[in-house]
Amino acid sequence: MTCEEAKTLLSEYWSQTLDETRELAFDAHLAGCETCRAETERLGVLWKSLALLPVEEPSANLRGRFYETLGAFRQGLESAPRRSLREKIVSFWPRQPAWQMAVSFALLVLGVGVGYEIRPEKQEQPEVAQLRGEVSNMRQLVALSLMQQQSAGERLRGVGWAYQVEPSDTEVLSALLKAVNQDSSVNVRLAAADALHAFGASPGMRKAILEAIPKQSAPLVQIALIDLLVDLKKKEATPDLRALAADQAVHAGVRQRATWAVEKLQ
Amino acid sequence: MNGTDNALMAQVGAGEVAKLAVLFERHHGALFRYFVSMNRNREWSEDLVQDVFFRMLRYRTSYDSKQSFTAWMYQIARNTNVDHAHKRRGEVVGIEEFTERRPEPASSAPGPEESAVRVQDLALLKRALDRLPSDKKEILILSRFQEMKYEDIAVVLGCEAGTVKVRVYRAMRALEEIYFTLAGEKAS
Repeated sequence: MTCEEAKTLLSEYWSQTLDETRELAFDAHLAGCETCRAETERLGVLWKSLALLPVEEPSANLRGRFYETLGAFRQGLESAPRRSLREKIVSFWPRQPAWQMAVSFALLVLGVGVGYEIRPEKQEQPEVAQLRGEVSNMRQLVALSLMQQQSAGERLRGVGWAYQVEPSDTEVLSALLKAVNQDSSVNVRLAAADALHAFGASPGMRKAILEAIPKQSAPLVQIALIDLLVDLKKKEATPDLRALAADQAVHAGVRQRATWAVEKLQ
Repeated sequence: MNGTDNALMAQVGAGEVAKLAVLFERHHGALFRYFVSMNRNREWSEDLVQDVFFRMLRYRTSYDSKQSFTAWMYQIARNTNVDHAHKRRGEVVGIEEFTERRPEPASSAPGPEESAVRVQDLALLKRALDRLPSDKKEILILSRFQEMKYEDIAVVLGCEAGTVKVRVYRAMRALEEIYFTLAGEKAS
């Protein structure tokens, strides 16, 4: 055994995971090599000491947050199995009083609007049409405002509001695409990618998604965008996905997903 | 235990999302320690653990029960940490600054006994670990603190198991250099 070979066995020697044959060979090398023997002992002391470092424990708060998220997720799955993430995001209630007021006001206007809408009169009155327009504008305003906030949590809520606007709302669509391409939080990018489902019929959507994939640093978001193309049945994206699957510079998981997407779209 | 973890995650993927609670109870402490060791910030680390479990829910259907759950989980953890590092670039204390000015290793290396005395200073060892370049620190955390199999570490880092072993050795050498440099600074 050479010194180089012995070095590759050191960590297993310290962890006592070497099999008998290799341990015997290793010991035989140490017996004849003072340099390796000294190094094994010296680094072995450090290796043992690493286990003595104090162990950090998370606060109880972490457990609470996890169960809160899991509960919300389960609730979302049970009430709307096909829109779990959407329900989860929408279920978040703002913590800041100002946003609570804004959302409350929006809900009030929404409630009045719905009330007018389900009135027995069959013919829509001009006031109702005007109110509906105001409700729509309010939803758009809340979505766009929240998506510009500094806090990732607020932006996530803004993405949740994007589900409430008309699928033809190009301003919200642009904001979502901007979020997918530029937001610093991967969770916001993921949620924005999900929210694009509702805008699937918009012209240029396939191109926008395909352009967004290479810009992403997070493979998870790239996979979410590929999933989006499959969900929207964008068959015309097949050649681009095939090219993505063949590109060795792309993350292996993304390439695998692109291959899967090509099969799905055929 | 890993077999059970794999089966549990497969059940989560099949729609039994409540089973994720068992995996959380088993692994959130280790994940937290991974992030704390990497980032030296408890608050961020709790957020990152939360993020990892959120992503597990988000990508629960993409988990293949034939692959190691531990490796899959740390792949997610690693991606989460990289995303976090991009976001907070500039806020973390620069490691390179320190490593650039570190002197050559001492020609007369201390003997095991002397080392043992010095290593009792665990605070110094902690500082040395913190100052390791992140790739070396990560491989020591995974192999020593998380006690992951080399095969699983290889999957997480995208290399061969043999490469992992060599990198563990190099990381230990680098840790030793930094440790004794710090010890020298302290003594002078």
